[in-house]
Amino acid sequence: MTSTTVAPEQVEVGKAWSGQSVPRKEDKRLVQGQGVFVDDIKRHGMGYLHFVRSPYAHAHITSIDVSKAEELPGVYGTLTGEEVAALTDPFFQISSAPGANVKDFSLAVGKVRFVGEAIVAVVAETRELARDASELVEIEYEPIDAVVDARRARDPGVPTIHEDAGGNLMWHGVYEWGDLDAAFAEADRVVKIDQLHFHRFNSTPLECDGALVEFNKGTGQWTIHTNNQFPGFAAIMMGPAMRTGLDRLRFVTQDIGGGFGNKITSHPQLVVCCLLARKLGRPIQWTEWRTDFHLSMSHGNERWFLDTEVAVKSDGTLLGFRTKALDDAGAWLRYEPLGGVIWAQVTPGMYKWRNIRVDFTQVATNKAPVSPNRGYSRMQHLWFTERVIDIVAHELDLDPVEVRKRNYIKVEDMPYETPNGCVYDSGDYAQMLDIGLELVDHANIDQRRADAQTRGKLLGVGIGSTLDSGTNNFGQSRMINPELQFSGNNEVATVKLDIFGEIVVTLGTTPQGQGHETTAAQVVADILKCSVDDVNVRAGHDSYWNSHAGFSGTYASQFAVTGLSAVKGATEMLAAEIKKLAGAVFGGVPEEALELADGTVRIKDNPEAALPFMACGAIINANNAGLPEDLGVTLNCRYVYRPPFQVPDVERKFGNLTLTYATQIHVAVIEIDPETGYYDIVDYAAVDDCGKRINPQIVEGQVMGATAQALGAAVHENFVYDEDGNLLTPNFYDYHVPHALDMPPLATGSLESPSPFTPLGTKGMGEGGGAGIHAVCAAVQDALRGHGDAIVWDSCNPYHRVWEMLNDPKGAGGTVSVTDG
Amino acid sequence: MISTEQTITVTINGTTYEREVAARKLLIHFVRDDLDLTGSHIGCDTGNCGACSMLVDGTLVKSCMMLAVQADGATVETVEGLSDGDELNRLQASFREHHALQCGYCTPGMLMSATALLREKPSPSDDEIRKALQGNICRCTGYWNIFEAVKAAAQ
Amino acid sequence: MLLREVGYARPSSLAEAIELLRADDGARALAGGQTLINVMKARAGSPDALIDLNGIDSLRGIDLAADGTLSIGAMTTYSEIVASAEARARPIIGEVCAQIADVQVRNRGTIGGNICTNDPTNHLPPLMAALGATMTIAGADGERTVTAGEFFLGVYLTAVAQGEVLTKVTVPAGRGDGFAAVTLGVDGTCIASAAASVNGSVTVALGCVDAVPVVVEPASASADDVRAAIEAAGIDPPSDVHASSAYRAHLSQVLAVRAVNQAQGAA
Repeated sequence: MTSTTVAPEQVEVGKAWSGQSVPRKEDKRLVQGQGVFVDDIKRHGMGYLHFVRSPYAHAHITSIDVSKAEELPGVYGTLTGEEVAALTDPFFQISSAPGANVKDFSLAVGKVRFVGEAIVAVVAETRELARDASELVEIEYEPIDAVVDARRARDPGVPTIHEDAGGNLMWHGVYEWGDLDAAFAEADRVVKIDQLHFHRFNSTPLECDGALVEFNKGTGQWTIHTNNQFPGFAAIMMGPAMRTGLDRLRFVTQDIGGGFGNKITSHPQLVVCCLLARKLGRPIQWTEWRTDFHLSMSHGNERWFLDTEVAVKSDGTLLGFRTKALDDAGAWLRYEPLGGVIWAQVTPGMYKWRNIRVDFTQVATNKAPVSPNRGYSRMQHLWFTERVIDIVAHELDLDPVEVRKRNYIKVEDMPYETPNGCVYDSGDYAQMLDIGLELVDHANIDQRRADAQTRGKLLGVGIGSTLDSGTNNFGQSRMINPELQFSGNNEVATVKLDIFGEIVVTLGTTPQGQGHETTAAQVVADILKCSVDDVNVRAGHDSYWNSHAGFSGTYASQFAVTGLSAVKGATEMLAAEIKKLAGAVFGGVPEEALELADGTVRIKDNPEAALPFMACGAIINANNAGLPEDLGVTLNCRYVYRPPFQVPDVERKFGNLTLTYATQIHVAVIEIDPETGYYDIVDYAAVDDCGKRINPQIVEGQVMGATAQALGAAVHENFVYDEDGNLLTPNFYDYHVPHALDMPPLATGSLESPSPFTPLGTKGMGEGGGAGIHAVCAAVQDALRGHGDAIVWDSCNPYHRVWEMLNDPKGAGGTVSVTDG
Repeated sequence: MISTEQTITVTINGTTYEREVAARKLLIHFVRDDLDLTGSHIGCDTGNCGACSMLVDGTLVKSCMMLAVQADGATVETVEGLSDGDELNRLQASFREHHALQCGYCTPGMLMSATALLREKPSPSDDEIRKALQGNICRCTGYWNIFEAVKAAAQ
Repeated sequence: MLLREVGYARPSSLAEAIELLRADDGARALAGGQTLINVMKARAGSPDALIDLNGIDSLRGIDLAADGTLSIGAMTTYSEIVASAEARARPIIGEVCAQIADVQVRNRGTIGGNICTNDPTNHLPPLMAALGATMTIAGADGERTVTAGEFFLGVYLTAVAQGEVLTKVTVPAGRGDGFAAVTLGVDGTCIASAAASVNGSVTVALGCVDAVPVVVEPASASADDVRAAIEAAGIDPPSDVHASSAYRAHLSQVLAVRAVNQAQGAA
């Protein structure tokens, strides 16, 4: 079913752990059903919470009556927007004006702005009673017309969604680098694409959001058991809103059933749980249903690229482009408008053009709020650059492979500074493309095409190249709002020897399947020269461990850099302390004369003189009389990794925005049934380079998962709204995600181009950058060559769209014209 | 004859439980909430995801589409019954070896579906494996490693 | 995801089930539950009481008569049909049942539930219509048997009245059958479907395009005659997120021809 050039190695003892596919520590509990996911946690007397949600996309709330709900036996209480507005301050807005003026509370106040928006919370003794009681809440509405098309959101006469913002514009910025005029003057041809559309979907993690919140009245402390994947961000948003210090918010996570970015912005629901835990004096349990999730959580950025113009030489050299990006943020800015700058991490995509202008507008609409989804904002932009490449090749009758190779940034150009000052650390795109083409036997594609023809099928092959930029410099947020005081990044780890010499590691991250316990153990074991089985990594995240910092969490493709570098730093500190202690115990032996081996610290020239870790732990913790006064050894080491960043130049919108750039290049081969528009993916290759791989099997797993999600999004997954703002795909029945029988054959390949910028040579990876979407779009367009020559202008191409493209190639949008330069 | 509550007796993983339960309670909620067997999971609300899959009288079902009262007198097997104490069974060990799980949320359901398959077909073909797992959604792995793990456990 | 309060009974005989259904207008038969429980989770429909038919053995089982007629008990599951040697007398039935959703659904879902639900996207209503199946309905006054045309009345609406139970589906002997569909993912929900039978005359039944299966009888099995028959039927399919009306109409034509070709190949 899959063939791969990464042979999962047998784990070799004696060899470095890093680089080996060590079986995961997490798996033993997970395959026995012993994982602790948030809905598994129970507390005596807990109340179950159900949200009453809006049936309207846009309406004034004229009255709310919870009395009947509260009278139902077994109901503990309710919470309304009015109470929330009295008890909390609006959430901090990242945006500058006009988005800055939006007033976002954790329940709807006065108005509802999308179908599914939470209005009232009802808490009861059982899940069923909470659900029953919610039907007794009486709400009266005055409906308003809904704004559903971002392109119409600023038309005159269109309803304003946030009166405080004075209109539906949330944020606007112009990015321009190089010399556009010169580029277009030099161009032989100008390719104009009137519109491209990246569709709205997300990664639908199988576990939905949830929390169990306890309030300690005596200490004013909330304990929030949750599956929020970015507690650092949640705390920053919740603390000020709740008028409480951040230390009062203790976040505890253990196992999380997938995140993919979609579990970052649950802070409004968490605030509701906190307020109710305090109000009702009991633990509050909230589990989000699948339909709730689809209606309300973290849709990926929906983005139009309008009036794109590309300056091209006749030989296919790309000189530059300008475009108008129109981003549909949905009804609230919950992490937005950061998407308005994050794409700039990959401004030129993988290509050498230097003259670029992006006029970026973000508007509100009456749809679910947008917030990070796997590939966040870079995926949209990279899809755009890949579409441009393919459309230019199509229009100028050039080979898409040759055009890419002509324009790819070359391996000898690395590290490469992009037009806006980002530094691509390493990578060999041309070689990766060759590997991918080889894996699908591209040399013989014409024969396959002919064979498909005999069966009445149209064969198409498409390339999707993409970057996975990782480890953010949060200073880029100042390009959205110069008054923000964020910059840089950090992650924390602690490593200690316990009283009996056990090695215990805590992380600041919130893994959702990325195997952090395992890869952290590999790094520790390499430095302490022990077995991975001797390294105990605590599962999950807990604010009480003091093992986190402002940016702690698991998001944005960074653990292999931030988390593991923190682990490396802490372990090296510990190793040095162990040697220092041993040196003192041995009577003044210098560190250079000592080594770690087999769970001991020993003198290199006299290995018999060895102190086991157990002795070290015991001495420091329980038997420390007589040690030198200035020894400075605790064997409990906390390290904060801080990537090397500067605050970007906000004026020029210039500077390094991410530390590492993993790459993926995919090749898709499809066959279309022209009678129906149905198509199969008949062959597929994914080539990945994320620098040094600590655990190749885990890395490959991420590549596979990202591929599957991208294929689902390319063919089926779409949050589609009707003109009244009703979501037509609110559950897994209509929102089809890939199942076992949908999976194509998969071949994988890899390169390792270490990053020169990271302590371990690793690059963050995992998001993947949506290469599957880019590849399938390209394959569909290729298959339609000579059969109408339709341009693929939308990122989602279900069967009906393919049929429409066959039957009406010029219809419905995505028109292209080519003029002389 | 018609009642909104009923006392039911269910044997799960060898232990017999007698509980009073509302007729409206889904089997998955009974197992998770009333019996604290939280290994089986809930991932959707339309019967599509399979995270709740378990064996009822030897038959693989999605327990979110059965009422607890329908399991009265039945013998149920969930993920908690697969391993012998702390010793992983062949299928579980194969999942671990082949990295057939990432977040682990779909895994209990996957294991039960694979268990049902291997009981019926000890040496399934690749197509039979896919068909058997069609009712279990995974968002993390893309399924390819899961197919490998089941195949390897079969040999 | 959480049902409203509901009563429950599990009768052990058909007579008991009929009595319980007659006694309460809000009582509803529970077959496989693979649709009804989801409807109740969404609170789109909340019967007062569920009369569980799973304990009534007389509603299960497949009987193959000497003349090739198949009698399929209404509570026979899709899995049981797929595994049944008797059902192989009319192979298309098992082939289509094997495409429904997944193993878990097939282990509980029943032929009776599928046709009594009569969701336009269900596989079995058009198939039964094309095969010329008849449905036997039992009530307090006894049994009656109706044709598919008399059985399927509207969306979620069949000839089974309150207080009645579908007991079996009877399929005449034959082999020349076909079924073609475009689905939302492999083995997914049907976007368009066509069932065909060429035993004697040609019959095509379309799913997904109307409240009930649309049955046409082309002059011959030729593609032109099949398409002409669909055209003449004047279908006006619904539009939804998966297909426009025009696309569904087009697919119906294509799938009808494919189903007929498959039927000819199997004859």
